[in-house]
Amino acid sequence: MGVEFMPRFDYVRAHSVVEAVQLLGDPGVLSRPLGGGTDVLVFVRHEKPPFDRLVDISRVPEMKIIERHGNEIIVGAAVTYTEAADSLVLQEVAACLVEACLSVGGPAIRNAGTLGGNVANAAACADSLPSLVCLDTVAHLCSLTGERALLVSDLVTGANRTALRPGELIAYFTFPVPPAGVRSAFTKLGRRNAQAISRLSMAAAGRLDAHGRVDFVRLAPGAATSQPRRFTEVEAMLLGHAPTDDLLAAAGAQTAEVMIGMTGRRWSTEYKEVAIQALAERTLRRVLVG
Amino acid sequence: MLIRFTVNNKPVAVEAPADITLLDLLRDYLGLTGAKEGCAVGECGACAVLMDGRLVNSCLVLAPQADGSEILTIEGVHAPDGGLNDLQDNFITYGAVQCGICIPGMVLAGEALLLETLTPTRAAIRTALAGNLCRCTGYQQIVDAIEATAEQRRSRIA
Repeated sequence: MGVEFMPRFDYVRAHSVVEAVQLLGDPGVLSRPLGGGTDVLVFVRHEKPPFDRLVDISRVPEMKIIERHGNEIIVGAAVTYTEAADSLVLQEVAACLVEACLSVGGPAIRNAGTLGGNVANAAACADSLPSLVCLDTVAHLCSLTGERALLVSDLVTGANRTALRPGELIAYFTFPVPPAGVRSAFTKLGRRNAQAISRLSMAAAGRLDAHGRVDFVRLAPGAATSQPRRFTEVEAMLLGHAPTDDLLAAAGAQTAEVMIGMTGRRWSTEYKEVAIQALAERTLRRVLVG
Repeated sequence: MLIRFTVNNKPVAVEAPADITLLDLLRDYLGLTGAKEGCAVGECGACAVLMDGRLVNSCLVLAPQADGSEILTIEGVHAPDGGLNDLQDNFITYGAVQCGICIPGMVLAGEALLLETLTPTRAAIRTALAGNLCRCTGYQQIVDAIEATAEQRRSRIA
């Protein structure tokens, strides 16, 4: 037997969203949800836990679903990266999210980490964020006072900051199925291929009309701005035009300009400016040209 | 708290604090020291075990999360007679073991892949090992050992 210490926090497993919300809202016990543990366990190794209890939501059946209901996709917040990447539903309509999930860590991390955890932790480099934002994903938050829905781009308010209120749980995500023929993609720039933190990433979706002009386009960079969002300024300059080399290069330049407009020039800008330009151009080319 | 699960096909019930990792539970409470602590932040894979058939880093699993699970550690990987199994044999045949600290994780990552497919490409093998770091071998021999095992298991079925 090991030496016994007072545990620094308690653990309880939830079996439903209702039970999870009751446990998280328990007065007097500061509780936080536990998904795959890949962020929380790293954190509590070096820091004093900012909670008294972890409420394990990783096995709540209703938080593990990936379903299509008409023109809407529902993804439970406890779905792991591996489960998302293996999903035929997501492979069919959300290639950018599948590619983002496959870019996370290595297999063992992907088998544990969850989409809900990635969003709630809200690291600037979180790999699922640009794709979720590109898909106009809505997060559904449950608490003792009821349910509310927020766009992921509004839920994440900055690096490691969210609009989540105490006792609130991300239960599931929904996003509209993109129109027929829309292709999407995710590109990541890291220091190595696996187990790498994103330096920059890019999610894009797009489609051409019968005349070869862009009639649907979305662009959402990752790790570029403190709050993830679609770069609608870049989308607007592409809509209605043929995706020529010149236009894609201009879209790349515009992406860099929008980023710098939001972040200002800082020590990393010299690198990020050219990198994001190329990343935007390449990712748009993948979805609009092939 | 009482944590009940199955480890290497044996049901166990362990009284342990709620805030320790599965890795500490295996090593300090069950004496299963095959899983190693390398980085302790999920980057090296030396602590990898299978949890319900999937590879996980036991340093990033909270011990009570294993309650009700089936855990396979390197101590549970062996031939029916208790000796080395074919994959472990091939690690030796192909010179895939030097210092050895990454090997329990490497073998389990290999077994996790071979549970999914017996026709992995070399690229798929490298992807399956992407979360397991080895400072000695340069990986080639480990990929060779897994590739050879896949081929042998295929021909045994055929």
